[in-house]
Amino acid sequence: MRVNTPADIASIDLDKAWRTLAEAGLLAMRARDGGAPMSSGVDVMFAVEELGAALAPAPLVGALLATELFTLADAPAALIDTLTNGEARYAIALSRQLDGLADASALAGVVCFGAEGANAALALKRDGEARYLVVLPLANARVLDGADPTRRLSAFTEAPVGEVVGTALSQDALDRWTALALALVCADMVGAMRQGLKEAVEYAKTRIQYDVPIGSFQAVQHMLAEMLVQTEAAASVTRYAAWSVDALGVAESLLAARTAKAYCGAATQVLSETLMQSYGGIGQTWEHVAHLRARRALFDRALFGDESHQLLRIADARMGRA
Amino acid sequence: MDYRENTDELAFRQRVRAWVTDNAPRNWRAETKTEEQMGALLRAWHRKLFEGGLVGLSWPTEFGGQGLTPTYEAILNDELGAADTPRVSFHAYLGRAIFTYGTQAQKQHFLPAMLRGDMQWCQGFSEPGAGSDLAGLRTYAELRGDKYVVNGQKMWTSGAQHADWCVMLVRTNRDVPKHKGISCLLTPTNVPGITIRPIKISDGSPETCEMFFDDVEIPVENRIGDEGAGWRIAMTVLSYERGPADIGFIATLKSTLRRLEGLAEETGRANDPEIRKAIARAYVVGEALRLNVMEQLSQRVAGKPPGPDGSVARLLLTQAEQTVRRLELELTGADALTGRDESDAFGAYLRSRTISIFGGTSEIQKNILANQVLGLPKA
Ligand SMILES: Cc1cc2nc3c(=O)[nH]c(=O)nc-3n(C[C@H](O)[C@H](O)[C@H](O)COP(=O)(O)OP(=O)(O)OC[C@H]3O[C@@H](n4cnc5c(N)ncnc54)[C@H](O)[C@@H]3O)c2cc1C
Repeated sequence: MRVNTPADIASIDLDKAWRTLAEAGLLAMRARDGGAPMSSGVDVMFAVEELGAALAPAPLVGALLATELFTLADAPAALIDTLTNGEARYAIALSRQLDGLADASALAGVVCFGAEGANAALALKRDGEARYLVVLPLANARVLDGADPTRRLSAFTEAPVGEVVGTALSQDALDRWTALALALVCADMVGAMRQGLKEAVEYAKTRIQYDVPIGSFQAVQHMLAEMLVQTEAAASVTRYAAWSVDALGVAESLLAARTAKAYCGAATQVLSETLMQSYGGIGQTWEHVAHLRARRALFDRALFGDESHQLLRIADARMGRA
Repeated sequence: MDYRENTDELAFRQRVRAWVTDNAPRNWRAETKTEEQMGALLRAWHRKLFEGGLVGLSWPTEFGGQGLTPTYEAILNDELGAADTPRVSFHAYLGRAIFTYGTQAQKQHFLPAMLRGDMQWCQGFSEPGAGSDLAGLRTYAELRGDKYVVNGQKMWTSGAQHADWCVMLVRTNRDVPKHKGISCLLTPTNVPGITIRPIKISDGSPETCEMFFDDVEIPVENRIGDEGAGWRIAMTVLSYERGPADIGFIATLKSTLRRLEGLAEETGRANDPEIRKAIARAYVVGEALRLNVMEQLSQRVAGKPPGPDGSVARLLLTQAEQTVRRLELELTGADALTGRDESDAFGAYLRSRTISIFGGTSEIQKNILANQVLGLPKA
């Protein structure tokens, strides 16, 4: 499932990749067993980081988030089972700015994330103050040519007729879901960047210029050392966010997740730019992995809200609403 | 790892908090006008901490320590930082040199007194010609009979004006490669031939000192470790200086940020989205530091000694402290530039610039990460 060059994406059997996720039990990680999730937030983080590192085209994050929405909406257990065993596949419908779940009543510009092989997407429907989970069929959906070719996006071509599932979602439930979503997206970024750094370090040890490895030049060393610092900091905030999903109250967990997302979002842009720089010319080419890492990370950066979005909400949490 | 404190740790935190409330000096910044007053204050505060059972928490019990995990040290530092008490930290990492490399007699002689606060210490490593390239140091100690005769100059010896003793690196052999000819001496600061002069740093405070040595006689039994083992000892000390012991800083950063949020409110800028983002950004980089330090701390508790990866936390500390102080300067605005500000925001800003210098500059920290953690070839 590892992608090293754009050509790899077409050669990966995506249905098989999906079955692999299902067979490994990864899709069921957040399924509840007597109320508690089967795997902790930190364990899920490790799995997502692995896939991020591999730039795997498998929509694990989308699938886990779909399961979580069904669970929070108290959907029938039999329905949830079809998700966790891999039979049913749902995408997440995102608002136009990618900063949250789409509103089912305004689908213009909405994109569906994790759409590979999915036949429906999940959005929110308002009914007065109440919000419900709706399933929107993805029949005739159009595949989008998004920035990140490792994860498929699609858009509705006609207004679908949605079907409400389960009971109304409370603000607490939605906040819990957002906290999990942010933690998982951060884990994906951390995975993509950690692996990128590892490969760049290997390259710096072997690429020779002026008769010496480029890794002996201090300018290159400092680029890579700065990447290490930022990657480790990103990993630290992400780990705490992932831990807090199970361990802390909603408000604290959401603050931890926003903090992680703000940090990772800012770091990841610099990290992916530095990554491309550290390879010289080859790092600017289509066949090279560097832009694929940048593409994935920059999409993640915007997904569920970029740094600016998170910072304003962190300020709200600490200083009260402006 | 669990980020929550267990019941023992929580109980300890509560005990420390109550103790600090009852015992910490109040108003000490305003009331210590002279260096003498500052020295007396630090000494008295150190003794009080010792009497409260709060010094040497993670040191072995045989030398008067409490044999606790580094977590307790971190909790203590956190509470002291939050209460903005004076900082008495030199013994903490300088003592490592003695209990890691000292003889039994040296440990017995120095460690208990060091913990009690009867001996104040400073670190005499850097010299005018040896900063980043510390191994280039030239202060020379010539062995004559049972004593060393020391000549040369140390620079940037912080706290020397209040110290009784100095952990000092000297050259004892000029004929071997530079790292191999260095030894470590424990030197009283009040013996004949030593002159100490304060160095004012950019904010005008005499933060650090230079020390001159003119035929200073130091008994040979004051050498720690073998002759020529000084470099290894220095590296041990520096790895602790750079390590997560800095957690006291984190509490200070947190309370500073709260104060700045209040300041934004008072000055009517709390609704400006740019200011709100800048404040949130300072919070976020502070969290990155705190959480990275907690991970390193949990590795220390698990028995892993501090290594070169401590430079990650050090660079994150630099990022957090400098971000907060820039923000403070920004929020204080013209008041900081005109003398109208009484909070010394400009001084705090200037002092924050030293964080990327002392204990190894940011560039040196990156060299360490590149060579020792990433394994990149030496230039
Ligand atoms: C407030 C303060 C307190 C201090 N306290 C103490 C103390 O208590 N005890 C003690 O022993 N020392 C202390 N120091 C000294 C401190 O450790 C040194 O200042 C520091 O290591 C840098 O050395 P230098 O000042 O000689 O700068 P230099 O080494 O001359 O550096 C000048 C510039 O060159 C860069 N540079 C140098 N070498 C390299 C390289 N190899 N690669 C890339 N860049 C490089 C540096 O990063 C810096 O930007 C203190 C310093 C300050 C400012």
